Amino acid sequence: MPDLISLKKLKRHYFVGGETVRALDGIDLTINHNEYISIMGPSGSGKSTLMNMIGCLDTPSDGSYEFEGELVHEMDDNQLASIRNRKIGFIFQTFNLLPKATALHNVEVPLIYSNTPREKRLARAKAALTSVGLEDRIDHKPNELSGGQRQRVAIARALVNNPSIILADEPTGNLDSKSGVEIMKIMDALHNNGNTIILVTHEDYIARHASRTIHLFDGKIKHDKKKSLKNKN
Amino acid sequence: MFNVILENLKLSASSVFANKSRSMLTALGIVIGVLAVTVMGTLISGLDKSFDKSMSFLGRDVLFVGRMPWFSDVDWWEIRNRPRMKMEYSEKLKSSSALVKAAAPISMRTANMAYEDKSIMGSSLFGTIPEYTQTISMNIKKGRFITEGEHRSGSRVTVIGYDIAQALFEDQDPLGKHIKIQGYKFRVIGVVEKQGKFLGLFSMDNQAFIPLGTQFRLFSRRGWMRINVKVDENRIEEAKEEVRGIMRRLRGLKPQEKDNFAINQQEAFEKQYRAIKLAIGGTGVFITILSLVVGGIGIMNIMFVTVKERTREIGIRKAIGATRNMILGQFLMEAVMICLLGGLAGLLLAYGASFLISQVFPSTMPLWLAIGSVFLSLFVGVFSGLVPAYKAAKLDPIEALRYE
Repeated sequence: MPDLISLKKLKRHYFVGGETVRALDGIDLTINHNEYISIMGPSGSGKSTLMNMIGCLDTPSDGSYEFEGELVHEMDDNQLASIRNRKIGFIFQTFNLLPKATALHNVEVPLIYSNTPREKRLARAKAALTSVGLEDRIDHKPNELSGGQRQRVAIARALVNNPSIILADEPTGNLDSKSGVEIMKIMDALHNNGNTIILVTHEDYIARHASRTIHLFDGKIKHDKKKSLKNKN
Repeated sequence: MFNVILENLKLSASSVFANKSRSMLTALGIVIGVLAVTVMGTLISGLDKSFDKSMSFLGRDVLFVGRMPWFSDVDWWEIRNRPRMKMEYSEKLKSSSALVKAAAPISMRTANMAYEDKSIMGSSLFGTIPEYTQTISMNIKKGRFITEGEHRSGSRVTVIGYDIAQALFEDQDPLGKHIKIQGYKFRVIGVVEKQGKFLGLFSMDNQAFIPLGTQFRLFSRRGWMRINVKVDENRIEEAKEEVRGIMRRLRGLKPQEKDNFAINQQEAFEKQYRAIKLAIGGTGVFITILSLVVGGIGIMNIMFVTVKERTREIGIRKAIGATRNMILGQFLMEAVMICLLGGLAGLLLAYGASFLISQVFPSTMPLWLAIGSVFLSLFVGVFSGLVPAYKAAKLDPIEALRYE
């Protein structure tokens, strides 16, 4: 079985106003199945760029990116969309739900894009919402839900296509501490169920949930520490 | 793909109906465009119908020889000084040309008709000869037309039009009854079948025929006269030249002198009609194109606004796996939906308008035009939605997600 994710000498440079911004400047990183990783670093260190890169929203300027043995850096737009749809689950700081759609429909959308028949789609979307404890909120729109509930809808949406990896970008950043704890409990449970999770955060107490912490600085990996003991809250 | 299309359809519908007034105003151009093109089509179809009906009365192979051209480019004083038509011309034309199949002089005046206590004013009274029926398409509903003997002897008999029969007799049988025309007693020998209006202008049912001899005897020899000449239908142009030559000879015109009579044909109407039709059609097409272009630009504009407003949504959709084509489809569908709804609304209004028009003269909206206008609005939708939708599809997901 190939590594889940393998980045080699990965670079992402932007050209802004005649200057080259080295957002990622030679990243070598291997991620295995069922890892629980947190990415930390000061702002401007390249956390978000790395996240977008792993999430196939961005393409590298140089270097290689293999996802389950497939060469992502050679893919076209449609292939990237398909990888995002089937293999990656995104969780954002600002939830990024479709405001006019119900919780159920928000969770259904990835399944629509993967052309899942309606019956199957509804069943899976309901199951995903149940797994995050929102079975009684499926007909609510985002503005009728609390922040924690919205993020749980987003988690359900990320899970619904059984992705290979879940990418969470500051998932608790917009939540009060109580909801934050709830969300992290769900994240831990997902990991315990065998999911691979990457968390971007700048809070140490959030990063401690992960079993491996990668620190970025100026587009490079400063250190990459693995905990000897798995944290099981 | 089907699931995505269905989703896009629902999305478009909800977006269009969520912004009802915006969608309505945006679609207005399309509504007007479709309305213009369909109403124009209805109008032309109605005109065609009534024109054909009126023309069938005239007949392609009949020349109408008189003082005045129907559609004149000759100065009026020149026409005024022209000599009158004479009934003798009719005989001469027939005997001098093999191409003339039948010829009938018609003398016309207006007259008042009365029967018992009922009367009708300002009917057209035609004095003519039996051959008239060969030069014009007209059916006798009851009784018969004038005979040669009645013409020669100046009998006081009349064939009345449908409207006159209705006005004077209602349910009674007019045949054999005596009516008064300008105070003179006439026996009704026939009733003409209902003919309707000529070009929607004047009724052909409010007229009566009497023998030409009677007309001359009781009324004036002077007055408006025309000669209907039926010619060989295969050699109309040739016949026209022959009739012209004979008329010039009868009038004693020298070669350098201009014709002092006119030979009219159904064709003259057709020419005139084509010009009118072109004017109506041209105006309709102009309004249609103008409003569709303006409407299309309006839709393009509103689609740009929509795409801008929903930039973040596009980013989210891309992040969770929408391809460019799915996004393109979503916004294209929305533009098409606005246009289609506009087109259908226009069609609905046009249906109402065509109903009103049909009250004035018989007309129907041509089906091909209704279907065509729907396709036209579809086309405008695709045309005006394509660029904004393409812009949406090409958005960078990261930037779109960051958009506030």
